[in-house]
Amino acid sequence: MTKKNLARRVTVDPSVVGLLEMMEQRQIESQLPRPEREKKSRERAKISARRERRATYDLPPLVRIRMMELSGQLSIPASQLVSLALTRFITDYDSGKIDLSIYKRSSRSPRYDWNLVLPETNEFEKNQKKKKGLPNKSSKSR
Amino acid sequence: MKIISFANQKGGVGKTTTAVTLAHGLALSGRRVLLVDMDPQGHVALSLGLAKVPGLFELICEKKPLQSLVVYARDNLDVLLSDQSTEGVRCELGFSALKNSIFLDAISRADYDAVLLDMAPSLDVLHTAGLIASHWVIIPTRMDSLSVDGVQEVIKILGGFSRRGHVFEGYALLPTFFDRSTRETYLQFRDLTAAFGGRMWPPISQDTRVREAPAFGKTLWEYSPNSVSMRGLLENQKRVGGYRQILRKLMEVLDD
Repeated sequence: MTKKNLARRVTVDPSVVGLLEMMEQRQIESQLPRPEREKKSRERAKISARRERRATYDLPPLVRIRMMELSGQLSIPASQLVSLALTRFITDYDSGKIDLSIYKRSSRSPRYDWNLVLPETNEFEKNQKKKKGLPNKSSKSR
Repeated sequence: MKIISFANQKGGVGKTTTAVTLAHGLALSGRRVLLVDMDPQGHVALSLGLAKVPGLFELICEKKPLQSLVVYARDNLDVLLSDQSTEGVRCELGFSALKNSIFLDAISRADYDAVLLDMAPSLDVLHTAGLIASHWVIIPTRMDSLSVDGVQEVIKILGGFSRRGHVFEGYALLPTFFDRSTRETYLQFRDLTAAFGGRMWPPISQDTRVREAPAFGKTLWEYSPNSVSMRGLLENQKRVGGYRQILRKLMEVLDD
């Protein structure tokens, strides 16, 4: 069988593509009427400002679900509840109230030396499950 | 050793700034670099805080050994400088039967990791000799039609050499003085990217610091290492282009 002379297409540098897309979007926006242009500009600024405040972490599912429940019950954004929880953790950790060493187990990951095994999480999950088994739980909390 | 030239027939597109900045960047990364000023204006010397001397003239016309002519500029960075006498080199090469190889022969035994050639904005015999000596060509260009015309001229010359059997390892276009807010920049950038694809490198932003640095005889690594021309434009919280990114790409070329 004859060998096919295949050549991969030259790919454009991803940063060039990204920059070009952004410039293209701005060019399109510059053709819009002024109020729409200003609206787009405000939206972009808002998205850009939010990006710095965003983070992605893996959480135990029950913690996430409970946060959403609390958010609904208290009518407070879940992000703010999580911020409060994390701020309190950082304050407690900095003042020595929390000792992470009791949760540390050595990790086989090339990136991290330790994993945290959290008995509190297990207890929390048990409690949550127990609570969910209780009748009239939601009417009690109200 | 790889020889990399910085060429565009159009003047004022940032050839010298790019050559000096990348030469010093390579030197700071531990590579031994020789920067050759092929331009009678002698601006490599001024950019590095040195005096103009007829180094290239003495190499080609007086046949002095290269090592006696190179000047220490920074750690790991030597320079072969130019002044008005470089015009005489053009005459010398013009009458020589070996005009296309005489320059390559003069620098081929140099003991460096990279030799960078800052070419003059012209299409004369010295320019030809420099291009023929090069493994790679970087073509800095502003995003305007006159500079892009200069790009086309260089590409035509490279194509001509290739048809006559000379093999270049590659070339790249480097947008300079990049002002992303103007429509002309967008149109030129879009068209060049469509035409040259992966040969289009991320841009160097317009930056007043670039104009200020030579006045102090400092490179951008010394004068303003964190300016926008060095770190790149901020797009979606990410840096795009800038001499730091271009240095990484150049090091990939050298290691290839």
